[in-house]
Amino acid sequence: MSLSVQQLTMTSSVESKISHLLAERNKEAIQLVFTHYGPLLLNVINRVLRDEVMSEDVLQSVLLKIWQNGHNFDGSKGSLFTWLVRVSKNAAIDKTRTKDYRLSQESKNGVEVVSIAESVSSGDEMETLYAKQLIAQLPEDLKTLIKMSFFEGYTHKEICEKLGIPLGTVKTRIRTAIKHLRSII
Amino acid sequence: MDIQAYISSGILEAYLAGELNEQEMKEVDRIASQYNEVRLELDSLRESLLKFAEAESKSPNSEILEGALESIQEIEKEKFFKVLDDEPEVKIQRVNIVPVWSIAASILLFISLGFNYIFYSQFKNTKDQLAALESDQTSLANRVSQTDQQLQYAQLRIAHFLSEDNVHIRMEGLDLSPESFANVFWNTKSNAVFISVDNLPEPPHGHQYQLWAIKPGLAPIDAGIFDHNQLVQELKVIKGNVEAFAVTLEKEGGSPIATVDKTFVKGFLKKS
Repeated sequence: MSLSVQQLTMTSSVESKISHLLAERNKEAIQLVFTHYGPLLLNVINRVLRDEVMSEDVLQSVLLKIWQNGHNFDGSKGSLFTWLVRVSKNAAIDKTRTKDYRLSQESKNGVEVVSIAESVSSGDEMETLYAKQLIAQLPEDLKTLIKMSFFEGYTHKEICEKLGIPLGTVKTRIRTAIKHLRSII
Repeated sequence: MDIQAYISSGILEAYLAGELNEQEMKEVDRIASQYNEVRLELDSLRESLLKFAEAESKSPNSEILEGALESIQEIEKEKFFKVLDDEPEVKIQRVNIVPVWSIAASILLFISLGFNYIFYSQFKNTKDQLAALESDQTSLANRVSQTDQQLQYAQLRIAHFLSEDNVHIRMEGLDLSPESFANVFWNTKSNAVFISVDNLPEPPHGHQYQLWAIKPGLAPIDAGIFDHNQLVQELKVIKGNVEAFAVTLEKEGGSPIATVDKTFVKGFLKKS
């Protein structure tokens, strides 16, 4: 528990550090945003676009926007994360209005399933052997839920449709999965 | 507020998954800032997820970050150059408001016009002066030529006076013109007669002076008509015993018979 408190303090200081760096228009802010929020923001974008490659492009443009507009971020109106999510969502929505996106949508069906399958079976390129071993202890169904909800852009409603489980159960299982994850890390 | 129940509701997971709308997210932010426990829970959840992402290769490709940083660098470079480029733009805008070049051009035009006027005046003056000078020169040349001619006559007269071969007869004015006088030189070797027109009134229009040689007992002999304006002129050759010379006013072209009552001057040869 003491470890996690230390960690949390660190995270909070990271958030305020990012805010300060953004105000100073320092590029290091973007690096920190990418490291600490990148996976979650990519998920937010992918939730709208349903295209991993396109989502990565949008994340890149989001990082630019964050750097360009970061000095306008007002901490009194919400957390940095809330602001980052809004910028990401807007960028993704903007992308859906492009011809580029419409064309890709027309020739796309069933890719989502393949994407899930790939994601589920991936894991060969783990960087941290220790973390891999720990996370390997997680039951597959919980891992899938975490991936879908936090890293693959599926809404709870979509997950319940895909996996054929009720919405309430999806929410409870995600909560359980994270709880489990935290207990092993 | 039951914090534990709030945390257990799954709203924090939904928050991190981007499941909530902005209003709901702000509500979570508000509660997290109010309740330290909620904030810690949120941060802890995020850290766990990041660890999971790292372990499961769910972190976005690092090329995304590199690409973004490169773009930022490009933008910064462009901005830097734009700042440099902006300077002349500002100047151009200033020109639009106050057309400096046109003011400068106007000033130059006025200066040019001023100079043009000055130069034109000077040119005109010079031209006038030149014309005056030319006219002066012409009149001077005329005078010189006139004087030259007069000098030639004078020299010629002196030569005639000094010539030992010449007989000199001074003809004095008569009643018609008492003030008048003229001289005749008669060369004793060649018998040539020269007249020096010294003071004779301007002949009336269509009339001319004529010289006559007078021999005793004979009618006057024509010695030639002469030009009133030419001072010294060679006339006819007169031979024989001449007593006197006289000048009469005749019709233009002369007369074979002297009009004696129009005799202006007359002079007798000195008896040697």
